[in-house]
Amino acid sequence: MLRTRSFLPPLLFTLAYAALSLGVTNSYYQLILTLVPVWAVFGLSWNLLSGYTGLISFGHAAFFGIGAYATALGQIYFDISPWLLIPVAAVLGGIAGLLIGFPTFRLQGHYFALAMLAYPLAILYVFEWLGFQEVTLPIKRNAPIAYMQFSDPHIYTLLGLAIMLATIVLTQVIERSRFGMALLAIKQNEAAAEAAGINTLAWKLRAITLSGAIAATIGGFYAQVLLVVTPQSVFGMLVSAQALTVAMFGGVGTVWGPVIGSVILIPLAEVLHAEAGDRFPGIQGVIFGFAIVCVILLAPEGLFWKLRDLLRKRMAPKAAAADVPETAVANVTALKPASQQRAATGEIMLEVKNLSRSFGGLKAVQNVSFKLHQNEILGIIGPNGAGKTTLFNLLNGFLKPSEGEVLIGGRNMSGQRPHVICEAGIGRTFQVMRPFLRMSILDNVVVGAYVRARSDEVARKLASDAVARVGLSAVADRLAGELSTKELRLMELARAIAGQPRILLLDETLAGLGHGEADEVVAVIQQLARDGTTIAIIEHTMQAMVRLVDRFVVLDHGAVITEGLPEVVTRDNRVIEAYLGKKWVGHAAN
Amino acid sequence: MKKTSNGLTRRTVLSGAAAVGLAGVAHAQTPAEIKVGLIVPLSGIYTRPGQVMKMGAEMGIEHINAQGGIKALGGAKLKLVVIDCGDTTEKAKNAAQRMVAQEPDLVAATGSYLSSFTLAVTEVTERAELPVLTLSYSDLLTDRGFKYIFQTAATASRQSELGLPTLMKLAENASGKKPKTVAMLMDNTATSVATAKALKERLFAQEGLQLVVEEVWTPPLSDATPLIQKVRSTKPDLLLFMPNAVSDAKLGLEKISEFGLGQGKIPTVSFSITIAEPDMLQSVSPETVQGIMTIVANWGSKGHEALIAELKAKYKEPWMTQNVISTYGDMWLMKEALEKAGKADRNAVAQAFRTMDAGPSKYYPGGQLKFDEKGRRIGAGVVIVQWQSGVPVTVYPPELAQAQPFWPKK
Repeated sequence: MLRTRSFLPPLLFTLAYAALSLGVTNSYYQLILTLVPVWAVFGLSWNLLSGYTGLISFGHAAFFGIGAYATALGQIYFDISPWLLIPVAAVLGGIAGLLIGFPTFRLQGHYFALAMLAYPLAILYVFEWLGFQEVTLPIKRNAPIAYMQFSDPHIYTLLGLAIMLATIVLTQVIERSRFGMALLAIKQNEAAAEAAGINTLAWKLRAITLSGAIAATIGGFYAQVLLVVTPQSVFGMLVSAQALTVAMFGGVGTVWGPVIGSVILIPLAEVLHAEAGDRFPGIQGVIFGFAIVCVILLAPEGLFWKLRDLLRKRMAPKAAAADVPETAVANVTALKPASQQRAATGEIMLEVKNLSRSFGGLKAVQNVSFKLHQNEILGIIGPNGAGKTTLFNLLNGFLKPSEGEVLIGGRNMSGQRPHVICEAGIGRTFQVMRPFLRMSILDNVVVGAYVRARSDEVARKLASDAVARVGLSAVADRLAGELSTKELRLMELARAIAGQPRILLLDETLAGLGHGEADEVVAVIQQLARDGTTIAIIEHTMQAMVRLVDRFVVLDHGAVITEGLPEVVTRDNRVIEAYLGKKWVGHAAN
Repeated sequence: MKKTSNGLTRRTVLSGAAAVGLAGVAHAQTPAEIKVGLIVPLSGIYTRPGQVMKMGAEMGIEHINAQGGIKALGGAKLKLVVIDCGDTTEKAKNAAQRMVAQEPDLVAATGSYLSSFTLAVTEVTERAELPVLTLSYSDLLTDRGFKYIFQTAATASRQSELGLPTLMKLAENASGKKPKTVAMLMDNTATSVATAKALKERLFAQEGLQLVVEEVWTPPLSDATPLIQKVRSTKPDLLLFMPNAVSDAKLGLEKISEFGLGQGKIPTVSFSITIAEPDMLQSVSPETVQGIMTIVANWGSKGHEALIAELKAKYKEPWMTQNVISTYGDMWLMKEALEKAGKADRNAVAQAFRTMDAGPSKYYPGGQLKFDEKGRRIGAGVVIVQWQSGVPVTVYPPELAQAQPFWPKK
């Protein structure tokens, strides 16, 4: 039901556009109407990779050009119809995506963007070297329709629209599925996504393959419209830029963004060119560029998001009046100090043996061994730079140990990828929170649930259970961007437990919280332990920790200096020395 | 579009007024107007050649109208419709579509400088059955079986076929011996590639030339040192230097001069008008270019003195490049076709171009005003232009030569 309803707007839009197109008899306006869906689809293909994963590609022309050249050369040399060649182009584009993605996804951020920039430019020279500076599609006077050469320009527009509708629907399906969630998670924080059980490389490769296939399809169609293919016109910088321009203008990471961008920018550029170009040559570029700069400044995320935020603001006063109890209170059973000393008796969930990791000469973790028993809450403490977070990174697979073993349920998992370790039952949160700000709390948590869920429904179910366990059910539909620090901490906790881990690694979950707030979070954590989760927690604030944990492991300079019950550890001279320095040891003794 | 036509009207009124002044006619009757198109780059990096083509077109229209317009149509005046084809293939295609959609009464057009643009433009005009004259010389333009394109210049491969033997003769006459070795430095644009193909596949062997250095670059050229170094170490009898951007030409020539190969130490020849553009003198000294020759499809020559003087006076252009003279000639060719067709109809004009046989051509070198079945002008020749004392002058063929060629002696 929800699905069919959401496909209605694109369908209506397409029908309205088709009706408009059929009403236009001027062949020049018709050409513009054809180019709008072409660039919209190209923008959508870019958006599928860069919009959702946040890995900016400056090189989508590579796929576009491959499609265009495949379609053109296939007709010239093999006399194959474009009706066949465009699907072939899609396959080639997909393969190109895979081939380009595999090495390039090793890079991140700016490095990824710059590497992507190189591909079309390199391919451009290859095509020039091959002697394809100017390629024209052979005119087919005898069988025009079999070769997609229509005398009625409306048909090109309708074909372009069909491709656009298909791409929109495909994007919408992806957006709501595990695929889309995985990509969004990668965009917000690739490390967190990996820790939440998402095989980021696999999803990114799927995204670039699909994106390449779509770009090549529309590139092939574009060759059919333009009839002339030159390396500059399909592999050039301006082509890659076109995808970015329409998507960033319209809105990144939404299906409507590239469509809005294309519908506004392509006709605008043409009208400026037609109306002003021959009187003030070049003025069109100035106005066009200025318009884009203004929009980017006023709506950095694109028109779609700006408009949506404005609409939301207008709706907000009414909504606020409707539900007064805004603040979320974690209605969890209050603290029970007596619930301690569960430890040391249960089954061993996690065993760390002689774990070491060095960065060059720095031994960040040296020879650390400890055991984590079922239902236990283990506190890992130590001064700044003691190697606590590095230890967690070794446990959940962000870092490979130089030496030693991590046994999960008796199996050595050291050196495995984070998503594999997550599947094995380890969840974690981060010192620095990385919520997906534009998503609701529930959607944020769903990302973490996929690791245990076969279907989207199961994932939603697990997510809402997790939200309930941390006491955020009342605000589950609010955007993460509107939450307080405490709510965000709880949400991260929910995301970590949505995947139903047996062991939970909490990295400074109490950091930045006020006194009362910390107590609420502590209560939630204790409840989790009571429900059967084994927990290891890193923390600075000793006070809260002493009440929370069953046992401490104390690290300093990467090595375990002591471990044991809270009351013993806090009186240990080595611990006091590590935290406060030598001269306090004497004071503490008194 | 309304605005555009207003702008055009204003411009045409101005040129019309000038035309009336020239003719010395006080009151002409108001004859019908016949629209012809000029679709050239007027924005982006190819603006300059587009502007120069516009000068040629405006001068042509002015002269035709001043001399009584189209006589077969009761003295109807020509009116120029200028369309900017931008600086990309896509923009050129869009502009062509705009031209055929919004100027339905055009009878013919000319354009579009770069052969890639002409290719895209003629894909549209072919389907709209609008005849287009072009000075672009890619062979591909007239190899597509199109019926509405007419190429006034010799094609790229034909130019090298015609140019190289002439050049060899020139060298032999002037220096007493035939060159034996040749170095070729070229960019990888479509024109250079087509020219080089013809040279390497047939012409070098035919002329007994041995290719000793071949280097290709992708514009823009960032450093010419390695290219020229190779030339210096092999010391060929002839250097073919084929840039298509003024900046590349400048870099190469400066380096040639710096390495002491200039001033005719190694005779240097080009195959495009780039190296003889007025812009060259803004960046290099007349001494650097002295003696350099280029083989081109058209150039202001003997018999065009009055035109060259008018161009200088009116537009401050120091000399007449292919872009001016060919576009000027295109206007006269359109007039010829209109006279023959006897009506302002694009299909009739196209048919007139196809069947035309108007004798020797005045504004294109060699051959006739007659097209073969592909749309190539029959007998289209080349001219050789040589830099002499800071001006590129036509030195070949003899009937068009403004000066005697000199072969740089070692």
